[in-house]
Amino acid sequence: MSGNQGNTSPTAGMTASWVAYAAILIVGLLSLFSLYMGFINYADNADIALVYLFIGAAGFAAIGYMLFRSKPATTKAEALEVKKAEVFTTLECPKCQQKRVRDFKRGDYIYKDDEPCTRCDGMMIITKISRKKEEEKKKDESSWL
Amino acid sequence: MVLILGQVLQAQQTDMNVILQTIYSFAFIIYLFYAQKIQTLQMLRQIEVTLRKVKNVKEEARNQTVKTLVEIGKPSGDIAPRVDRFIDFFSIGLENMDPAGIVDKMDHFLKTNKHIYEAEVKALAPNATPTERNNLENLVEVSQALNIYYKVIRHFYLLGKKTMNIYVIMQVHMILPQLIQMVEAYASGIQAFQEGMPIGDSVGAIVAAKLMHGYTQRDIAEEIVAAEVPYEGRTLVVFKAKGPGGSVGNPDEGLINVLEERRGKVKIIITIDAAGKLEGEPVGQVSEGIGAAIGGSGKEKFKMEEVTNRYKIPMHAIAIKQGMEHVVAPLIEPLFDATDKAVESVKRIVLDYTEPGDTVVIAGIGNTIGVGQ
Repeated sequence: MSGNQGNTSPTAGMTASWVAYAAILIVGLLSLFSLYMGFINYADNADIALVYLFIGAAGFAAIGYMLFRSKPATTKAEALEVKKAEVFTTLECPKCQQKRVRDFKRGDYIYKDDEPCTRCDGMMIITKISRKKEEEKKKDESSWL
Repeated sequence: MVLILGQVLQAQQTDMNVILQTIYSFAFIIYLFYAQKIQTLQMLRQIEVTLRKVKNVKEEARNQTVKTLVEIGKPSGDIAPRVDRFIDFFSIGLENMDPAGIVDKMDHFLKTNKHIYEAEVKALAPNATPTERNNLENLVEVSQALNIYYKVIRHFYLLGKKTMNIYVIMQVHMILPQLIQMVEAYASGIQAFQEGMPIGDSVGAIVAAKLMHGYTQRDIAEEIVAAEVPYEGRTLVVFKAKGPGGSVGNPDEGLINVLEERRGKVKIIITIDAAGKLEGEPVGQVSEGIGAAIGGSGKEKFKMEEVTNRYKIPMHAIAIKQGMEHVVAPLIEPLFDATDKAVESVKRIVLDYTEPGDTVVIAGIGNTIGVGQ
């Protein structure tokens, strides 16, 4: 794909993420310092101390919000890839009912006369092609729905 | 260390208070004026991360398409430039300012589109069998779809970056989760179309195949195959797209031909298709209803409704529920198991709504990739 693609290069993304992390670090340090100042001033000057404590807490809340806002979309997007699933072919002999499961191979299709039966003189037919069962998702709080 | 620092700071408390308050006031003022700008940059970054991933997926799909075309079709020269040109192929939607007669125009449009795909894939993969060519057509379609997603996201990203207009950026940012879901769905379809595996959309065709397997079959319309199946004194005319290549056929033409052959003497029609599930519904749930269970452009649905209305035949529908991520991905076990439940539903509807001697038409709708008959 040619043409202007803007700053879609990995370097641009890295720069942006470094700026964000640096900002989070600075805000975090300032908030920590503010909380510390709040604690040490609490006995002498409660009013000033409360302001410090409020600022520190607000700083941490802002960091939490930033992480909460940016993380899910990033993680989900990072999961984007061309995956290969494990697909299995089930063969059955209509004469003796013998069943066999093997890996899918190109050219398999449901109701294809595939290979001679190893137990009788019949022909095994493909009766099922499916992907390995997905792992049960962890029960979450909405399972009662 | 901390205590020492604390003592030092306490000693110079007044100065430090002033410095800190100035910093926070400054930060507050910056936030007051630049909050939207910060939010815009954050959204742009999220779009950018997604865009880079979509680009990777799109390029992987394109490479896999070229690789599969070469493997199966054994073309003589380098097909990559032609594949790139075809991936960028577009179709201009019909003008619906005057909607009268648009269904026939749509029919012609779809046939032209299909003809182009067939001709292009034939040229790209001259040694492929017709079944393989159908699968390759689907594979090219996946690459095209991913290319379009990439270009649209890139368009809004670059436009947003250029204008720094939060509303332009929000348009794509708001639908980013859905876009990712769709790209993921198409990405999982690459393997299925490369190898010719049944997909989530094949469930309707599998149900029809289970009913018609072992009975004499005949072609009743373009890429549609039918069989007459006796069941409890009734005659079931079962049809589906002709497999095992990736095709949906023309089920509307199949239904019209069957009904006209029998001069409308059909008691009921049952259509079976995959349907999108709502969040909370289990995958593979089989639901029953009325109407034409068929997706696509709407042309097929329109024609099926028209012919059933002409003969006043009730149309039952069976939907096999699945998520967007299952539609073109290799078929999962719960969906395959659901086809047995759907077969049972078909038989129960036949027994409940018809008498011995009646004729019932059963249409298995959907892509028949990896499904024979």
